[in-house]
Amino acid sequence: MEFSDWDLVQKCQAGETSAFQELVSRYQQKVFMVVLGLLRDREDSMDVAQEAFFRAYRKIKGFKGGSSFYTWLYRIAVNTAIDSQRRQKRNPLEFRENMDEVLEEQNEVEKDPFSNAYDKELRAGLIAAINDLTAEHKAVIILRTVEGLPYKDIGEILGCSEGTVMSRLHYARKKLQGKLKAFL
Amino acid sequence: MIKRCEDIRDRIGALMDGELSRSGAEEVRVHLESCLACREERRQLEKLQASLKEVLVAGPSNVSFERFWSGVEQRINRKRVWHEDFFGWVRDLLTPPQLAWLVPAVIILVLTGVFSLESFFPGSRLAVQRNNFAAVDSIDAFGRNVAVLRENETKTTIIWLYQNQEGEDESTGEKTDASPSF
Repeated sequence: MEFSDWDLVQKCQAGETSAFQELVSRYQQKVFMVVLGLLRDREDSMDVAQEAFFRAYRKIKGFKGGSSFYTWLYRIAVNTAIDSQRRQKRNPLEFRENMDEVLEEQNEVEKDPFSNAYDKELRAGLIAAINDLTAEHKAVIILRTVEGLPYKDIGEILGCSEGTVMSRLHYARKKLQGKLKAFL
Repeated sequence: MIKRCEDIRDRIGALMDGELSRSGAEEVRVHLESCLACREERRQLEKLQASLKEVLVAGPSNVSFERFWSGVEQRINRKRVWHEDFFGWVRDLLTPPQLAWLVPAVIILVLTGVFSLESFFPGSRLAVQRNNFAAVDSIDAFGRNVAVLRENETKTTIIWLYQNQEGEDESTGEKTDASPSF
């Protein structure tokens, strides 16, 4: 029998750590992808995603079910990632190595050399442009693109209105569009 | 670019996300059919969205989550030092919903503290010096006024009723010689 998120939350609140383990296995990949989108560093993202689950575990007794579990969890994950980003000023060399690693992995499928070079350039430009966005703009882009969340849920996660989400998405896309004009 | 196009372009992203109302979406679609420049804007945004998906969603393929839970479990079982708990508590306190309560609470506490200084340190310069109070107000349309004067040191309150002299016009702001009549 498959338990709902809320059933598992209630079990956690009653002290069953195994129920939390089930929640972790349900959301670990999604949370990791959101954090990776924000930090662009695989090792850091793994660490921050684990820390986000740990914070969720500590706060779960206070979760009353006013919002869905995943919006609550994503809010913790986004805040943890933003905190981590503020704390750590990345070493530019280390960052470039990580970015290249991601690009290489995505180019595993063989393509003609011209298309490959063009795609690589576009991706590199896109990653650099995403990194130039503010944390708020980056978060709306990630939550919309990676998770495909509706504006209402994004608003709940980021603690702002749907109108603010729409406006942040608009400006974030405008910025990306401006920087990638040559490729679009 | 005309204002209409600007307004439509602001909403193309929301249209792509399926977040416009039915009438709003229809309005944007109708405009797009007739406007080449706005169609080009939509094409660019669609390409941007597709590239974003490719880069962000595809992500690295060989990430293993086998040891993910053990990392979380280690954190749960690890005894944290007091300052980690303290900073965690402060961080939670500084979230926007908490701040909404915190800001007025701090203002009230500071004001209460300042006003109570007088009770603990009578005559202290730190305490707020209460001024004497004076106010003049009009009672009715016939020129009758009331003036209140409260003198703090002797705790005396004087209430003074008087009527304006005939021909006196308050709206002109002229200085008048209003002799009080009790």
